[in-house]
Amino acid sequence: MLKNKCMYNIIKTRKIWFGISGTLCLLSIIFLAIWGLKFGIDFTGGSLLEISYTNQRPSVEQVEAALAPLELNSLKLQPSGESDYILRFEDIEENTHQSIIDNLSAIEIDGVPDNTLTELRFEAVGPVIGEELKSKAVEAIIIVLVFIILYIAYAFRKVSKPVASWKYGLAAIVALIHDILIITGIFSALGHFLGVEVDVLFVTALLTILGFSVHDTIVTFDRTRENLFKNQDKEFDEIVNISVNQTITRSINTSLTTLLVLLAIYFFGGETIKNFVLALILGVIIGTYSSIFLASPLLTIWRKGKS
Amino acid sequence: MNKYSEISNKGQVTATKIRLTFAFIILLAIFAGLIVWPSAPGWFGKFKVHLGLDLQGGTHLVYQADVSALDAADKKDSVQALRDVIERRVNAYGVSEPVVQTNFSGDNYRIIVELAGVKDANEAISIIDKTPHLEFKAQGGSVFNEEDTAMEDEVRTQAEAILKRALAGEDFATLASEYSEDANSATNGGDMGYTTRGKNVPEFDTAIFDQLQSGEIAKELIESQFGYHIVKKIDQRLNDAGEVEVHAAHIFFQKANADLGNIVWEDTGLTGRDVAKAQLSFEQNTQAPIVLLSFNDKGKDLFANLTTDNVGKPIAIFLDNELISSPIVNEPIRDGNAQISGQFTITEAKELVKNLNLGALPVPINLISQTTVGASLGEESVSKSLLAGIIGLLAAALFMLIFYRLPGIISVIALAIYALLNLAIFEIIPVTMTLAGVAGFILSIGMAVDANILIFERTKEELRKGRSLNTSIENGFRRAWSSIKDSNISSIITCLILAWFGTSIIKGFAITLGIGILISMFSAITVTRTFLRLIVNKRLENKLGLFGVKNVKE
Repeated sequence: MLKNKCMYNIIKTRKIWFGISGTLCLLSIIFLAIWGLKFGIDFTGGSLLEISYTNQRPSVEQVEAALAPLELNSLKLQPSGESDYILRFEDIEENTHQSIIDNLSAIEIDGVPDNTLTELRFEAVGPVIGEELKSKAVEAIIIVLVFIILYIAYAFRKVSKPVASWKYGLAAIVALIHDILIITGIFSALGHFLGVEVDVLFVTALLTILGFSVHDTIVTFDRTRENLFKNQDKEFDEIVNISVNQTITRSINTSLTTLLVLLAIYFFGGETIKNFVLALILGVIIGTYSSIFLASPLLTIWRKGKS
Repeated sequence: MNKYSEISNKGQVTATKIRLTFAFIILLAIFAGLIVWPSAPGWFGKFKVHLGLDLQGGTHLVYQADVSALDAADKKDSVQALRDVIERRVNAYGVSEPVVQTNFSGDNYRIIVELAGVKDANEAISIIDKTPHLEFKAQGGSVFNEEDTAMEDEVRTQAEAILKRALAGEDFATLASEYSEDANSATNGGDMGYTTRGKNVPEFDTAIFDQLQSGEIAKELIESQFGYHIVKKIDQRLNDAGEVEVHAAHIFFQKANADLGNIVWEDTGLTGRDVAKAQLSFEQNTQAPIVLLSFNDKGKDLFANLTTDNVGKPIAIFLDNELISSPIVNEPIRDGNAQISGQFTITEAKELVKNLNLGALPVPINLISQTTVGASLGEESVSKSLLAGIIGLLAAALFMLIFYRLPGIISVIALAIYALLNLAIFEIIPVTMTLAGVAGFILSIGMAVDANILIFERTKEELRKGRSLNTSIENGFRRAWSSIKDSNISSIITCLILAWFGTSIIKGFAITLGIGILISMFSAITVTRTFLRLIVNKRLENKLGLFGVKNVKE
């Protein structure tokens, strides 16, 4: 009755999956150790100014010369779009902000008249706020993890044979930590090579991925729970494998629809949330992978260790 | 399984119930549609989308209130009062729907100001925090050091030299215009006009009313607390009230220690927040602008005490920590009125009056974070988000149609109703839509589709096992429910924590995602099930291809 013609034996091949996950996690740890993360101004404190010129943006040298009298610390210039600039510098007073705008507006390019400057965006974050956000972010992630493990333990409280209910929670958490670690590792590499920054939105993405990944894992575990009641005679490994196979189409289809939506936001949505959406896309992919190939196989080895 | 057979056996009753539910869903959808439709008639028309600062452009400011000087018990109240004052100012500035909130976290007392559609953030900022912090202070004692004494000697020596020249017959007016440090009278040759007793420092009055004859110059320097005066009595007469009026002139040399950095001024507790009303006026003689103050009850008492304790002594008026005037108290003032005569221009005086009337800041503030989004970037984000949302919805709908056929169509209809209900609720609550909020909403579409996928996959499985279409559908819903419930509850937990974690960006995301998940439970289950129940009949039993399953009936 539970036989399916095209069944993938995920449990038997678990060593391969553990190997892949282990390597990715190890690489992420190495990236993080070497490069760390490139924190955005909402964590470090500092200013970000995005400006646009109507006709043509002045050269980097012109902008630097215009700003030189203000002696801004840690000034970084990044051309963006067709005639825009993103400037980053220390946390400044409002007066300095106005001087910057005045100086940048005064830049003239030969042969380009009426080159008006528009201020698209300005953010200035004091260092106090940055520190606060950092600790709040870590707090939030820990609280989410604790609540999820509690909830899963509660939801699976009736299933204690042959694996204790809290182990379902633990398997889900291992999968979650795996997801977060790999995504953070990827962002470490992106930060190193492309200057991608980790900001409050990134933390939001991580927290959302926690929700999404546990969503997937619960659906699979739910099937295992149901099958355990129905098929008391079968081996635990076999039941887990059948359950994973029964839910695999759903897991992949759900991820695909969500990915379709996310890809739409990534390519057509606003520039400011691009990295946020990228983190979500990676999270959906890795979260789906881990709920199929990591969480359930983990259950089976813990069973092994016990018997 | 048994539950389903019960339902189907009831036959007619169930059909009525289904039709009723269907009618209810349609009514709800129409209701939501009217709310979302921007130009809907009457009551429905008043709901509109609230766009966040990142979408319509605007400024988000975070101020830290410096409450270190206050008692712990007063801190919260003072910051609330601060919030009220800032709100009044912002309203006076004329921004539409400004948001001014207090934010307490640990020892941090903050004010968050959100100004939508502000073109010039700089102006808004100066309206908020470059406003007067008015304080009244009393003299605590003077501090002298050797350097001051040396400077004072120098002033005295110079004054004596000029006195000699005046006594020797040099023109008083010329000397006054050249050397006098009293800016008001120097230009008139030191002429102070007619004055009655009590209007000047006591030493000065003694000289002109009691000692000098008309036309005489005092032989000695007159020393007051402000400095040295060379005094000339020009004339004397009786005024209408029968008082003696003296026409006098002086050449003034300011004492070094009158330079008020050396006087220790002490807080008196009387500040701009005790001012009930401020008014612009002009001094009679000089036409210089002055500011008339009337205090509230608390201020009246404080001011009465202050003036009683300081008769004959100066009290200082500080504006933003700068001394603007230090009048001498002649007699206690109990009616709660005072006047400030600094060296104002009319514009400055007007500005001061306006700001005092709006309320001085009860607590000093410090801008610690600022985010400004230009309107053009906001517009671009709105159109991009709209496009992304539509493309995302269409892609998800297409996927469902291809993969799940007939139930796919129904889930797309359910998805449309879902989007409508969501938008209506966003407008009713109202939820402010930010970029992150839009992302949360679009992501919740994914979750809504997920519930249907779970159900349809389950239904397919049941069909493959050879169950009847009705049974399969009902089983699909019932069995999928525990997965849907468990996974959605874990997502809602995450949303709640995010909303708590919340800076405004994250809150927006968590709230739209959370609302989306809750509504998706209704749309993906009740709506889809009712529609499917309504269309499923015997004829469809042989067309399982419509459900994405080959006919496997034996």
